[in-house]
Amino acid sequence: MPVEEDLFEKMRIELRRGSLVLAVLGALREERYGYTLRQSLEDAGLPIDEGALYPLLRRLETQGLLTSEWREEARRNKRFYRLSPEGEETLAQLLAEWNSISESIVRLNEGTK
Amino acid sequence: MELIDRYLHAVRRNLPAAKADDIVAELRDDLMSRVEDREERLGRALTKDETSALLKDFGHPLMVASRFRTHQYLIGPAVFPFYLSIMRIVLMTVVAIVFMVATMKAVFGDGDLVGTWAHAMSDIWLSVLVNAAIVTLVFAVMERMGFAAEHLVSWVPDDLPDVFDKQKGPWESAIEVALSIAFLLWWTGVIHFPNFTNTGTLRMEPSPIFAQLYWPILVLVAVRLVHNLIQWLRPRWKTLRGLLSAGTAVGGLVILALIYQAGQWVTVIPQGMAAGEAAKIQESLNLSLRIAIVVVAVVWTLQCLGELWRLVRSRGATGA
Repeated sequence: MPVEEDLFEKMRIELRRGSLVLAVLGALREERYGYTLRQSLEDAGLPIDEGALYPLLRRLETQGLLTSEWREEARRNKRFYRLSPEGEETLAQLLAEWNSISESIVRLNEGTK
Repeated sequence: MELIDRYLHAVRRNLPAAKADDIVAELRDDLMSRVEDREERLGRALTKDETSALLKDFGHPLMVASRFRTHQYLIGPAVFPFYLSIMRIVLMTVVAIVFMVATMKAVFGDGDLVGTWAHAMSDIWLSVLVNAAIVTLVFAVMERMGFAAEHLVSWVPDDLPDVFDKQKGPWESAIEVALSIAFLLWWTGVIHFPNFTNTGTLRMEPSPIFAQLYWPILVLVAVRLVHNLIQWLRPRWKTLRGLLSAGTAVGGLVILALIYQAGQWVTVIPQGMAAGEAAKIQESLNLSLRIAIVVVAVVWTLQCLGELWRLVRSRGATGA
């Protein structure tokens, strides 16, 4: 039914939105600029709306989890982002949390099988 | 490229000025990388329609720019329940005041009950809109000052009303508060009712005792308003509520006693009416007022005793 599909789509977006920060932080262990970051996320099966990506990058930088610098590449100035030492620490904690949540959900659903 | 420049210009207009250059430079790079990627795949330059589709896919300039702002809402989900609750209280009180004033104007007006009432009612929309706007503005400011975060941490479960507390309905409370506000507005001369004390054939003048007791009466009604608000919004503040109730009842009784001692409360001055007839009207009016003062005094005394009894009982129960 269209209503159910709509509901599923909303819940799916909500679920993915929470995990995007983790994906962005993980992808920025390697230095990237916005366009290549978006492509790598898309290739990994996590497409992100560009309208959301740049504000997210700025927020994470303000929070001290990322560092950035403007550099010229391919005849154009680009802003390169990379995980800061603080970001690496937070990423490790978030990954542990992610694994714990995932294990709990798997355990809870095993009981219903 | 001209279309991309126009697009970025539209985005820039809605960005925070301090960061606009930096953000636009980054967005330009993304868009150009995208165009180059597409052109490389097609082996030719993009047409105007294709560039337009690409920009549409990127998002409306206003939406793109808004995401770079820290606040994307006027009142957030944490503040919203408080906003809704206060908005309901304020609007209910406003509606009650407007209805009351309109009804009094209609009753004491020039006889055109329906016309006077309908005219007064047309003001209700403006009053509701203005007050809703003020409440929204106050909460938008509170949102930015972090009210919700602070309030949600500092609230005290002990302040919740008892399950046994007989709470008045919201409309009953709103009408009580509105009555006090309407009286204060009339007493201080902010609003006027049609001059029903001057009928053409006679004029009624209040006794000087009312002018002498202007401030005591003003303070009494203002304190009673505070009591009504506490009863409505903070029913668990029983001690303060009880003290205010008993205090206003005692204060009210003293004022009533002073008024009663005046002996005469209205003077009827004939204007084209026989002096004897005016004297009779004055006598009946003063007799009615004498009875009214006594009845009010008895009711207030009973209320005061009841409130004190409830206060003593609730404190005894708390101590037990």
